[in-house]
Amino acid sequence: MSIQNESICSHCGISFRWKAIVTVSDNGSESRFCCRGCQGAWQLICGAGLESFYLRGDRHSPTVAESLLQTVFNDADLARRLVPEGDLCRLDILIAGITCPSCVWLLERIIAGIPGIEHVSLSYSGGIASLRFDPRLVAPLEIFEVISRLGYTPRPFSPEQSDLDARRERDDLLIRFGTALFLTMQLMAYSYALYAGYFQGMAAGMKLFLQYVSLAVTTPVVFYSGWPFLSGAWRSLKTRAPGMDLLIALGSLSAWIYSLWALFAGQETYFESAAMIVTFVLIGRLLELSVRRRAMSGIGALYASAPRRATITGEGGSRQVEVDSVRPGDLLLVRQGECFPVDCLVVEGETEVDQSLATGESLPVLLQVGDQARSGCINVAAPVTVQALRPAGQSYLMRVASLVRMAQAGKPRLQLLADRVSGWFVPAVILLAVMVGFGRFLLAGEGAGAAVMSALAVVLIACPCAMGLAVPAAVLAACSRAASLGIILRSGDVIERLATIRIALLDKTGTITRGQPRVMGIETCGGYSEAELIQSAATVEQPAAHPLAGAIVRHAAEQGFLPETCREFRNIPGRGISGYLPDGRLVLCGIELFLNENGVVLEELRDPDKDKAAATAVLVAIGGRLAGRYLLVDGLRRGAVEMVAGLAAGKIEVRLVSGDHQATVERIAAEIGVGSASGGMTPDQKLAYVKSLQGQGRQVLMAGDGVNDAPALAAATVSCSLTGSSDIALENADVIITGDDLSGIVTAWRISRATVRIIKQNLAWAFLYNLIGIPIAMSGHLTPVYAAVAMTASSLLVSLNSLRLMRFK
Amino acid sequence: MDETLIILIVLSLCLGAACWLVFIWAVKKGQFEDVEKPKHRMLDDD
Repeated sequence: MSIQNESICSHCGISFRWKAIVTVSDNGSESRFCCRGCQGAWQLICGAGLESFYLRGDRHSPTVAESLLQTVFNDADLARRLVPEGDLCRLDILIAGITCPSCVWLLERIIAGIPGIEHVSLSYSGGIASLRFDPRLVAPLEIFEVISRLGYTPRPFSPEQSDLDARRERDDLLIRFGTALFLTMQLMAYSYALYAGYFQGMAAGMKLFLQYVSLAVTTPVVFYSGWPFLSGAWRSLKTRAPGMDLLIALGSLSAWIYSLWALFAGQETYFESAAMIVTFVLIGRLLELSVRRRAMSGIGALYASAPRRATITGEGGSRQVEVDSVRPGDLLLVRQGECFPVDCLVVEGETEVDQSLATGESLPVLLQVGDQARSGCINVAAPVTVQALRPAGQSYLMRVASLVRMAQAGKPRLQLLADRVSGWFVPAVILLAVMVGFGRFLLAGEGAGAAVMSALAVVLIACPCAMGLAVPAAVLAACSRAASLGIILRSGDVIERLATIRIALLDKTGTITRGQPRVMGIETCGGYSEAELIQSAATVEQPAAHPLAGAIVRHAAEQGFLPETCREFRNIPGRGISGYLPDGRLVLCGIELFLNENGVVLEELRDPDKDKAAATAVLVAIGGRLAGRYLLVDGLRRGAVEMVAGLAAGKIEVRLVSGDHQATVERIAAEIGVGSASGGMTPDQKLAYVKSLQGQGRQVLMAGDGVNDAPALAAATVSCSLTGSSDIALENADVIITGDDLSGIVTAWRISRATVRIIKQNLAWAFLYNLIGIPIAMSGHLTPVYAAVAMTASSLLVSLNSLRLMRFK
Repeated sequence: MDETLIILIVLSLCLGAACWLVFIWAVKKGQFEDVEKPKHRMLDDD
């Protein structure tokens, strides 16, 4: 056993036990690196005087699988993406591998230091750098090279039209809201003075002046800031579907009209009600829009993860082409570590592919001649020649992306409780107001002005203040409480939907399990000691990239064994690996068949029943004799059992759906107490399953983590993801559980139930208030100022009731 | 006394209008584009 001190790579921070490949001495201090790549990056960073990068402690593992991205570009590719701006050029670059603010810091400074770069700004959330540079001084390819040398993966990015539209819409709403906020704040000062004047008396001239100023600041709020509601109300009138927009427009407009009339009639004005309604509801709209925008960027990420280039191979050698120009029937070469560019058929060679992104299968799958490979899968073992089956536009990855898009567009806009109620409340109030007006004019014989005023007073009293507050206040309290419990609720209506859930579908790989196998047990035989087995297996598995190999090596490290140097390492895809120990003995690790083929006699291992419990067994032979076997399982996430029990207690049915093997899924299901499990599901089948359950009138919660879950997540009534999931799953999720504990799903559900209860109480109160207030207003006995006080008290009650959610545990 | 009030109100409106213009400029300039990065930026040394 070779004993060597543990070294830590000066660049990437990985601790390694093998000999440092590169050592750089610099005035006394020595830097060790695990590889030349790290050394190169380190020299680049230190050369730019940015050593402090290494002192920053917030570096995490990357979230985008970088092997998915194309890394080779030529100048012609990039020249097409340039947008001329005067003498300068603009280029947007999507940079993969950004994991932390430090990366942004580093990239911005390094890029800005390239001669010819005029401006660079990098957004942390999107990982998109926009540059302005002088094309005569620097070629885009040089910029790309600098970024790649830092260890990030750059690719050109052209924002889609939909993104630009969404940005314009948000800016528009932001300006409307900002305008409303400034004017409303001014207005409050005048209203305060007018309230005081009402009770304490005030000079008539001053009062009139303040009222005129109020009119001046309110008018833009109602007609400019409130324009989305006015046009929405008009639309809902045309389609005869009265909604919240109509109520808001009616509330603000009637308050404005009444106040205008009151101003000239010398009565009290209520401009502040008109402005406040618009301002508050605009906040809600703005939040909703930013949520929608994030959902859109998820699809962008999926498109971005598609490979853009392919290697066509033929008699004349191989050449790189744009993936769009690949035709069905073309022969392509896919090297180790590359991503399959299109759906294709293996025609030569055999390899193992990582399909976890596409199917959710946790372990690499063997592909032989005649097998199909899906686009987006990663070739992990050996180069293969494949024949393209479909053009890139129809590839698996693109189909998943379009499924997501469709499911998102088709998601029924679940109406909020208040919205549903306003369906009859709004027409009822209008009808009542008209009746009061006509009644007073025709029957009581009052003047037209007084009749109109009392009609408007009814509408004003029925102003949707408390009703408008009933839902958002509770939602706001629930969301912030949930966030402090590690649950992110995407939007308010998620809460309402979550409370109606009747069935929960859970993905296995990455959701219930960690998607990382670990060693569960070791058996030895043939007189070998456990220590010898672990030492030998770790030594030959060390160079392998397979997750099972990783688990075995990790296990050895945990037990304190140091792998030695393995000679003549060979990887036989789908079978196992072989290699020689330093003492010259041959070690074989792999499946039974592999050892059999190599002439190892398989003795009876003790306790054959263990096979049933273990997902995978890896047999180890040393020097041609069976030495023992490893039993590996994919570990459960924390809280899985508690989650199933909690959901069951809430009368929610739980089912497991997965792309993994049926037997594996069933075993996990039994382990966590789930009765129903379906394995071997494709993304389309998962989507169809969700839809069929919804067709039976059941509200479905879907929890998943992979690209393969994305369509089902988008279609589900409520979708849920855990942090560490693929970007596309996170962007599609309504509920995100941060932290590693699955029982967060139950907590989210319980919060949503509590919130809906509070909302119902709030709405009940708002209606009770109207029920009492409206008749009094109709009778003409309610002075508007007291009505305003009553309204404020009502809103306060609703707010305080909502705040009770902050104490939810 | 009335004059003072009127002057103050006009003054506050002017101040508000100035803020409003700055805000419009900020939105157009894309200051609200990315609200994620700036909050980390203060931790940077420079």
